[in-house]
Amino acid sequence: MEVNPPKQEHLLALKVMRLTKPTLFTNIPVTCEEKDLPGELFNQLMRDDPSTVNGAEILMLGEMLTLPQNFGNIFLGETFSSYISVHNDSNQVVKDILVKADLQTSSQRLNLSASNAAVAELKPDCCIDDVIHHEVKEIGTHILVCAVSYTTQGGEKMYFRKFFKFQVLKPLDVKTKFYNAESDLSSVTDEVFLEAQIQNITTSPMFMEKVSLEPSIMYNVAELNSVSQAGECVTTFGSRAYLQPMDTRQYLYCLKPKKEFAEKAGIIKGVTVIGKLDIVWKTNLGERGRLQTSQLQRMAPGYGDVRLSLEAIPDTVNLEEPFHITCKITNCSSERTMDLVLEMCNTNSLHWCGISGRQLGKLHPSSSLCLALTLLSSVQGLQSVSGLRLTDTFLKRTYEYDDIAQVCVVSSAIKVES
Amino acid sequence: MENANGTKQSVTEDSSPAEGQTGSTTPQGEQGQLLYHEETIDLGGDEFGSEENETISEDSNNFVDKLNEHLMESVLISDSPNNSEDDSGDLGCLQDVVEPAEGSAGPTLESLGDEGAVDTLSKDSESDGEDVSKDISDTTPDPDHNQVKGVPALGEEGAKDPGPGDGSTHPEGLGCTPPPRQSPPTEEPVPVCTIFSQPLPARSQPPLLLRDGFEPQMVKSPSFSGASETVAKTPPQAVQPSPSLSKFFGDPANTNSLASDFFDSFTTSTFISVSNPHAGSSAPEKLSSLSTPGGERSPGAAEPSHSPGIEKSKAGVSPASVEISQSPKPFSQIQAVFAGSEDPFATALSMSEMDRRSDAWLPGEGTRDVLISVATQQYSTVFVDKESLTMPGLKFDNIQGDAVKDLMLRFLGERAAAKRQVLNAESVEQTFVGLKQLISCKNWRAAVDLCGRLLTAHGQGYGKSGLPTSHTADSLQLWFVRLALLVKLGLFQNAEMEFEPFGNLDQPDLYYEYYPHVYPGRRGSMVPFSMRILHAELQQYLGNPQESLDRLHKVKAICSKILTNLEQGLAEDGSMSSITQENRQGQWPDFSLNNYRELSEDSAPKAFLVSHPLHWSLHAFICSFLFWEAKHRPGTRAGVCGGPDTSQGPCPRQLHPVTWSHLREDYVLAVDAYHSVIQYYPEQEPQLLSGIGRIFLQIGDIKTAEKYFQDVEKVTQKLDGLQGKIMVLMNRAFLHLGQNNFAEAHRFFTEILRIDPTNAVANNNAAVCLLYLGKLKDSLRQLEAMVQQDPKHYLHESVLFNLTTMYELESSRSMQKKQSLLEAVAGKEGDSFNTQCLKLA
Repeated sequence: MEVNPPKQEHLLALKVMRLTKPTLFTNIPVTCEEKDLPGELFNQLMRDDPSTVNGAEILMLGEMLTLPQNFGNIFLGETFSSYISVHNDSNQVVKDILVKADLQTSSQRLNLSASNAAVAELKPDCCIDDVIHHEVKEIGTHILVCAVSYTTQGGEKMYFRKFFKFQVLKPLDVKTKFYNAESDLSSVTDEVFLEAQIQNITTSPMFMEKVSLEPSIMYNVAELNSVSQAGECVTTFGSRAYLQPMDTRQYLYCLKPKKEFAEKAGIIKGVTVIGKLDIVWKTNLGERGRLQTSQLQRMAPGYGDVRLSLEAIPDTVNLEEPFHITCKITNCSSERTMDLVLEMCNTNSLHWCGISGRQLGKLHPSSSLCLALTLLSSVQGLQSVSGLRLTDTFLKRTYEYDDIAQVCVVSSAIKVES
Repeated sequence: MENANGTKQSVTEDSSPAEGQTGSTTPQGEQGQLLYHEETIDLGGDEFGSEENETISEDSNNFVDKLNEHLMESVLISDSPNNSEDDSGDLGCLQDVVEPAEGSAGPTLESLGDEGAVDTLSKDSESDGEDVSKDISDTTPDPDHNQVKGVPALGEEGAKDPGPGDGSTHPEGLGCTPPPRQSPPTEEPVPVCTIFSQPLPARSQPPLLLRDGFEPQMVKSPSFSGASETVAKTPPQAVQPSPSLSKFFGDPANTNSLASDFFDSFTTSTFISVSNPHAGSSAPEKLSSLSTPGGERSPGAAEPSHSPGIEKSKAGVSPASVEISQSPKPFSQIQAVFAGSEDPFATALSMSEMDRRSDAWLPGEGTRDVLISVATQQYSTVFVDKESLTMPGLKFDNIQGDAVKDLMLRFLGERAAAKRQVLNAESVEQTFVGLKQLISCKNWRAAVDLCGRLLTAHGQGYGKSGLPTSHTADSLQLWFVRLALLVKLGLFQNAEMEFEPFGNLDQPDLYYEYYPHVYPGRRGSMVPFSMRILHAELQQYLGNPQESLDRLHKVKAICSKILTNLEQGLAEDGSMSSITQENRQGQWPDFSLNNYRELSEDSAPKAFLVSHPLHWSLHAFICSFLFWEAKHRPGTRAGVCGGPDTSQGPCPRQLHPVTWSHLREDYVLAVDAYHSVIQYYPEQEPQLLSGIGRIFLQIGDIKTAEKYFQDVEKVTQKLDGLQGKIMVLMNRAFLHLGQNNFAEAHRFFTEILRIDPTNAVANNNAAVCLLYLGKLKDSLRQLEAMVQQDPKHYLHESVLFNLTTMYELESSRSMQKKQSLLEAVAGKEGDSFNTQCLKLA
């Protein structure tokens, strides 16, 4: 077992360098006035420096490109580019050189070499160059495996490999949250709002080039991330098109079911696929990254078989004075007629007026009935209307409705408008 | 995930940490997910795969990992195993930084040597590579709040997306069938070892490389430690006041002209008053009494910051006097240099007007009170709190050294090193002339030393910080030069230390009014305006951009106030008693040329601006650019995301261990400042606009960059000429670079070379593009040709850095080539050359 072969055994040398974008050279400008001790010296020195900007030497950011100085970070969705150079260090011609670059991830192995053809011969001090690109699709450890095989002048077949390991990190943290629109009390609007929080968890600013929601077939999407100002579409993020490290930005989308799906209210029930976010960002000198989220899924609000919605409720009421609300009860089941009993449970602050436990009568599928209820509040402030219970007498199943709506309870001294 | 069972109401907070951990592959997170096999593939398939596949216990597993982590190369450039030279300096450096960060990466990749194991990791994944990355997992359990995994984009071509239903069912089924394994190359564990073995020796190097070679070292001053001895030995000399003062007061006969003496700006004066009667004072008093006994003309009395301890100070000996005795000539030499102005009196007057303009400064309230009492209470003693006096001293004695020579000694041998001749602080005149000589031949370290020597002669040498002293315009200029050079050399910490006693540059003893007898009638601050700017900017480099900006804004506020005063026809300081009246009274008859008061009202402020070419706005720009710059660069914050490669490798300029990471400011500021600078420097508009464009380009905002570049094209259309044309081409090239089109970028850089073959930037940039196009040899040829063509000009650290990087990539013989570069550098560069760009160490 030649575990550690002596040096100089191989005629070829393999070098690998990751090609991140080059950077622009920066100066530290130190200037002074003519009357100061160094006089023109400092300025003259800056003028003589080839890396300063001609005519504006004091600019830090020059135009001189420098090659990447280290491996840097690589993030999911970015492209890994690397220079692979095989150099003939020896003084003899080497034949049949085959260079193979594979990328081993936790789940797969990819061949990244541009060509798999062998090079017939390599003269001393010559190179075989290859630039490989790979869009990184997995997080975690990646290993670039470079294998070189060749034949020496003496006909000896030689082979060696080198491994280069790097970690792929996650660039973004994405969180989503759905909001069901119930602005319109009279009907079930099936609008869904999606709030996506995107956090830059890298260490450098990101320019967010595109963050869009690709809706599933059931929805149309409206992006709510720009406002119209003087006829111009202005992003709500202001002039900061970029995201600082650890900064989070919220994107908002409004999804409406397409007509053909909206009509059948039952379809948009349970878990539905909303769509996915497509994020494109750029960093240094246009280094690009792109990620998509998985399909975002949303649990439609669980109406169950019986849905209780509010038709009318005052927003402000007087303390200890009865007020009225109108509820609408809908039988959402497919074909079961229900026999419902309404119970009203008081809470700490709200008290129901009227009889609890009354029969509501038969409710046919897809039909609804309106109920006027009275209650009063004994506590000031924003109070939540809770405590309605509907019991299906046939199935002996009770549906609980808490936190249906909120009212603002004010002292009676304050006149409540109508 | 863990939060799957979370209630639907409390959604927001819990998911992110969990996700974060999986990102950095914490075992627990993975463990938790074992239930959902197919769901975790893209995140951490490796480790839980391994947990299943490996029979080794967790602990030993980790241990093996640790070993392997050490052995793995994860590096920019590697050397081949058969490389005899050890030019893997930067390599090792990278690796070292990688190491600590790896810890957080946890048990990843086990036993690399056994490649089979790695292959089997894919067991949990689908065989179809594209689909693997699809992650449907967490969405299901937690519909209200989706934890969205970064799912890699499908290829640019829009590689297929299996669709929702497809995706969710698919992996389960396939999960059991491992993908066709790559031929497990167990037969060849050999190369693994060769490679692993290599980085180890290199590891010892990095700490050296990471920091600036000069940075934190505090050299004990020999003069400091020996101070007490000198005191004992040479008391008599100290009694004598400094030469300049004796010239002033002791022997008026031999001065050239009285008037010019009082305006001791080195540009006009015929002598230099780098001296300080308190030089040796070792008794720190709580209060230094400031007496101004008017007509008395004894040296001690004339010193405004005269203190009771003065007798002692004269008795106690200063290194200063020692210094002077060693080099008795300097002051007379300088005298010779500056002597010979045609009409000293007239010059002095006109200069005084210019001085007044540039010295104009508004003291803070407390300072103003002190200055007023100095001015009014001529015959009584003014007590100034010691706290409010400026008592600087050298904080380190000697940063001298020639890194180039050190490298030559190390790599080329003594004989070669002996050929390296650079000027040092001793080999030039111990004067401003010598100082300028050192600066202009780029021996900045030596220049810093020389400043130190001159300041020591002034009594502000090593260990003198916190001891009473007095200031002259020249001593402050020396401080400015020293500090500026320290900044230029990147020795920010050192500069900060020595800046510290100056406070906010507003202490009363930094004003001319504080020394009514030394500078009769002269008003304003002795602190050079440039020094204020430096003072502000330094904070930037130390990672306190906000402080920088605050300081710049203070400078700005005072500038604006002065401008307002001038606009209202007042003197700079807002007083009515302007010199104009004296002028009108004909006291200073021959006085018209430089008197901006005789310009129209309107142009007076302009004249002020002209007298301060370093107007604040320009520096506000520089400052805010730095904000951006600082944020933009990954910086030295290693391992923030648990990744191994956040390191900052050796690079020409970013070596200083400055933590940029805490900066929260805004590149928008930089752009704003740029715009305001354009107002003041309309002739630089195209350059500045291009600069803005490049900022946007660097941040990745290609579209906005393009907009600015278009503006440049519009502006340059008006002015034809080579420069504008080059600028336009340069910008276009950069734009292509931003669009990842290196071929086009190269075309434009080459285009520039056609019209301006000596353009260093275009030359270098074209070569860089060639490398990205896979043409290493061509790239090298281009750079080498360029350097040979005009080494004097092109041996720039950025070019050299590129060159050495390519040498490392090109062959195993990079060491020889680097050494020949070192030789080339040795013949041309001074001691301030940044040797790190040669990557030799």
